[in-house]
Amino acid sequence: MEQSLDTGTPKPAPTLDRSMGEDGYYTFVDGVGHIPRDIYKHVQSDPRGDLPRYSIHIVIQHLLIFITFILLAATGLPIFFSDLFWAKHLIDLFGGIDIARWVHRICAFIMMFTSIYHVVTVVGGTIVKLLRHEFDYKRTQIPRLKDLQDFFHDIKYFLGIEPFRPKMEKFMYKQKLHYMAVFYGSFVLMTAGSALLFPDIVAKSIPGLIGKVLPHWVVGNDSYSAFFQDLVRLMHADEAVLALIVLAFWHWMNVHFVPGRFPLQWAFLTGRITREHQIEEHFLEYLNNLREIPEEREYMRDLLKELSLAPREQPASDTILASELSRIH
Amino acid sequence: MALLMVPLWALTAQAADKMNCLMCHKHRYIGRIDANGKLHNYNVDETMYRHTVHRNIDCHDCHTYITKIPHDPVTQTVNCANSCHIKPPFSQETFSHQHIMTIFNGSAHGRTPEDSDRMRAAKPDCIFCHQNPLYSKISEENLPEAEALRRCQNCHPQGGVIQAFQHIAHRLRKKTTRAPQQIVALCAKCHQDSERMLQLGASPRAAEAVESYNHSIHGKLVRLGSKKAADCISCHASSALHDIYKKDNPKASINKANIAQTCRQCHAKTGDWFIDIAVHPSPIHKDNPIIYLMSLFLQLATYGTVISMVGLMLFETFGRRREGIRLILFNGSSWHRPNKHARPKRG
Ligand code: HEC
Ligand code: HEC
Ligand code: HEC
Ligand code: HEC
Ligand code: HEC
Ligand code: HEC
Ligand code: HEC
Repeated sequence: MEQSLDTGTPKPAPTLDRSMGEDGYYTFVDGVGHIPRDIYKHVQSDPRGDLPRYSIHIVIQHLLIFITFILLAATGLPIFFSDLFWAKHLIDLFGGIDIARWVHRICAFIMMFTSIYHVVTVVGGTIVKLLRHEFDYKRTQIPRLKDLQDFFHDIKYFLGIEPFRPKMEKFMYKQKLHYMAVFYGSFVLMTAGSALLFPDIVAKSIPGLIGKVLPHWVVGNDSYSAFFQDLVRLMHADEAVLALIVLAFWHWMNVHFVPGRFPLQWAFLTGRITREHQIEEHFLEYLNNLREIPEEREYMRDLLKELSLAPREQPASDTILASELSRIH
Repeated sequence: MALLMVPLWALTAQAADKMNCLMCHKHRYIGRIDANGKLHNYNVDETMYRHTVHRNIDCHDCHTYITKIPHDPVTQTVNCANSCHIKPPFSQETFSHQHIMTIFNGSAHGRTPEDSDRMRAAKPDCIFCHQNPLYSKISEENLPEAEALRRCQNCHPQGGVIQAFQHIAHRLRKKTTRAPQQIVALCAKCHQDSERMLQLGASPRAAEAVESYNHSIHGKLVRLGSKKAADCISCHASSALHDIYKKDNPKASINKANIAQTCRQCHAKTGDWFIDIAVHPSPIHKDNPIIYLMSLFLQLATYGTVISMVGLMLFETFGRRREGIRLILFNGSSWHRPNKHARPKRG
C-alpha cells in the first residue's frame, strides 16, 4: 500500500489514455475524469453482472459444453475406472452401460457441434468486426507478450511487491491459457474418441498415414494400427481425466469459489460481468466499456465526483482517501 | 413359473429313473465320510432334478458302470460322450455329446498324450464348465415371438411346440445362453492365475490374458454389465463353442486367417489394419516405450497441472486478501471490503 502513495500524479491526457505505464495510478478518460486504479473497491456492483462480456451465442455454447461435459464425464469415467465399486452404480443411473454408451456418443456429437458453432461465431464475429473496422486483436484470445508480462506483474502483486494488479484486457493470461488448453483438449478428445467409436473405419486411414511419416522403430513390435489405437486409448482417457481435474479443481474454484466471486459468478448465464471484477481484472476492457456505454460513463463520472476525485483535486494518499470515505458514509 | 418341463421328445423318452436309484438317493443325508474325513453328500433332490436340462435321461445312461442294485462302491466317472436313450427329433440315432467331445479334445483344452500330469490336471473337463443347470425361460424380446409361434401352431396345436420353438429360437439369436459376465468368470477361474499358467508353459502374454482383457474396452463394458461387448467365447470360439485353439493353429478363430471374420460379428468394416489392433492390451503399456513414456508424461502433466494451478489459485487468493476481500457472503456476494460503499438492498 505504501508504495502507491506518491504515484498519484494525474497526467493530463487529451483522450482515453491507454499508454500509461504500470505506475500510472490514474487513468484519464475524456468526459469522465481521472480514474484511480483501485476504484473497484468503491464501485457498486450487481452480482448478476453490470457490463456486457459474452454474447448470447457464447452463453449458449458454454451451457451446451457444460452439460455435455458433465454427462460425458459421468458416462466415461466409470468405463475408465470400471474396476472401482462406484462405476457400476453410476452407470446404472443411466439405465445400464449399453444405454450409457449411447449417451456418451450423443453428448460427444453435441459437443462437437458446439465446437463448430463456436468457431463459426468467432470467425463470423471477427469478419463482421473487420468489415466495420472495429476489430481489435487486443480484445481477443490471441496471446501476446503482454500476457507474460501481466503474469509476472500479477505474481509480484500477490507477493506484495507491486501496489496494483496489472491493467489487463478482456481476456487475461489465465483465461488465454485455459482457452488454448480447451482447444487442444477438445481436438485430442474428438480425434481419439472417433478412433474408439469407429475403430474399423479409422484403422483404414490414419495408421497408413502415420506409417508414411513415422519410422518403424517407433512402433516397435506392433503394427502402425496397433500403435495408433493404443495411443488413442491412452490419450482419450488421460486427456479426459486431465480435463475433468482442471475443470473441477481449477476452473470452478477459480470462477466461483475465490473471494469476490463466491458463491456464484453469474456471467456464464447472464453474459455480464460485475463492475468490480471488470475493473480489477480487465481494466483495459473497462475503458472500452466507458467508451462504448454512455450510462457507464455517467456512472463513473458521478462516482468520481461523489468521492471528490474530480481531476482538480489530488488526494494526498490512498489511506487518507479510505478514511475519508468511512467518515462520509 | 416358466420352467420348461415337457419338451416335445419327452413323449419318446422313458421314465428317467428306470432302475429306481432315487429309492435310496432321495434321502437327504445319504453319503459317506472318506478317508480324509471329508463328508460327501450323495442326495439327489428329485424335484430339482426334474427341472434340470438332463431330467429326461435315465441315471444309468450316464452312470453306466452301475449295473446292479445295491451297487458296489463307485470307482469310475461319468463320460459325457456316452450315448443316451433319447432320440432327437428328425433322427433315429441316439443322442450324444460325442460331436462336442471330438471338437473339445482337439482344442487347446483337450488332453493329449504328451501332456504332463500337471497339465492334465490343469485342463478343464466337461463338468468343470457345466453343472446340469436348471432350465430357465429365456425371453426373446427381439423376435416377434407370438406371431412366429402362431405359424408353428398351424400344424402343431399341441402345447409342446412352445418349448421346441424357444429351444431353437434363442440359439438363433445369441451365441451363448450364459451372460457374458458368466463366461468371463468361468474362463477367469483358471486363466486369471497367471503364475500357474506360466508354470504350465503359457507365453507371458497368454498368461495375463484375463488381466489384459479386463483392461480392454470389451472387458470393461462386460464388467459394467454390457450385453453387446465381446466376451471370451465371442472371440475364441466359433458357434461350435468348444473349438478354442492356440492362435497359431489354423483352425483358431483368432488365427490371422480367421480373425477378420471373428471381429466382423460386431465390427462391420473390419480390414487388414484393424485386425492388428491389440484386444488384449498390455495394462501398463510396457510393450512400446513410446506409449509408455507418453503415459508417464500425461500422468506427470496431470499432477503438474493440478498442483501448479491450484497453487496459483491459492496464491492469488492469498494475495488478494491484502485488500480486505473476504470469503464471506455479504449482500449476495462476497465482495466485502471494509472501505466499501454501502450497497442498496436488492429484492
Ligand atoms: C440300495 C440303495 C441304492 C440304490 C438303489 C442306488 N444307490 Fe447309489 N449309493 C448308495 C449308497 C449307500 C452310496 C454311498 C456308497 C459309498 O459310501 O461308497 C451310493 C453312492 C453312489 C454314488 C457316489 C459314488 C462315489 O463314491 O462318488 C453314485 C454316483 C451313485 N450311488 C449312483 C447311483 C445310481 C446311478 C443308481 C441307480 C442306477 C444308484 N446309485 C442306486 C445307495 C444306492
Ligand atoms: C447327464 C448325465 C447324468 C445323469 C442323467 C445322472 N447323473 Fe449323476 N452324475 C453325473 C456326473 C457327471 C456326476 C459327477 C461325478 C462323475 O463325474 O462321475 C454325477 C454324480 C452323481 C453322484 C455323486 C455325487 C458326488 O458328489 O460325487 C450321485 C449320487 C449321482 N450322480 C446320482 C445320480 C442319480 C440318482 C441319477 C438319476 C436320477 C443321476 N445321477 C443321473 C452325471 C449324470
Ligand atoms: C406345415 C406344417 C408345420 C409347421 C408350420 C411347423 N411344423 Fe414342425 N413338424 C411338422 C411335421 C409334419 C413334422 C413331422 C415331420 C417328420 O417327422 O418328418 C414336424 C416336426 C417337428 C419337430 C420334430 C418332432 C419330432 O419329435 O421329430 C419339431 C421339434 C418341430 N416340428 C417344431 C416346429 C416349430 C418350432 C415350428 C414353428 C417354427 C414348426 N415345427 C412348424 C409340420 C409343421
Ligand atoms: C472351458 C469350459 C468348457 C468346457 C471344458 C466344456 N464346455 Fe461346453 N460350453 C462351454 C460354454 C461357455 C458354452 C456356451 C454356454 C452357453 O450357451 O451359455 C458351452 C456350451 C455347451 C453346449 C451347448 C449348450 C447350448 O445350450 O447350446 C453343450 C452341449 C456343451 N457345452 C457340452 C460340453 C461337453 C460335452 C463338454 C466336454 C467334452 C464340454 N461342453 C466342455 C464351456 C465349456
Ligand atoms: C480348468 C481351467 C481352465 C478353464 C476353466 C479354461 N481354461 Fe483355457 N486353458 C487351460 C489350460 C490348462 C490351458 C493350456 C495352456 C497351455 O497349453 O499352455 C488352456 C489354454 C487355453 C487357450 C490357449 C492358450 C495359449 O497359451 O495359447 C485359450 C485361448 C484358452 N485356454 C481360452 C479359454 C477360454 C476362452 C475359456 C473359457 C470358456 C477357458 N480357456 C477356460 C485351463 C482352463
Ligand atoms: C475381442 C476378442 C477377444 C476377447 C473378448 C478375448 N480374446 Fe483372448 N485373444 C484374442 C486375440 C485376437 C488373441 C491373439 C492375441 C495376439 O495375437 O497377441 C487372444 C489371445 C488370447 C490368449 C493367448 C492365446 C495365444 O495363443 O497366444 C489367451 C489365453 C486368451 N486370449 C484368453 C482369453 C480369455 C480368458 C478371455 C476372456 C476373459 C479372452 N481371451 C477374451 C481375442 C480376444
Ligand atoms: C460381441 C461383439 C464384439 C466382437 C466379437 C468384437 N468386438 Fe470390438 N467392440 C465391441 C463393442 C460393443 C465395442 C464398444 C464400441 C463402442 O462403444 O463404441 C467394441 C470396441 C472395439 C474397439 C474400440 C475401443 C478400443 O478400446 O480401441 C476396438 C479397437 C475393437 N473393439 C476391436 C475388436 C477386435 C480387433 C475384435 C476381433 C478380435 C473385436 N473388437 C471383436 C464388440 C465386439
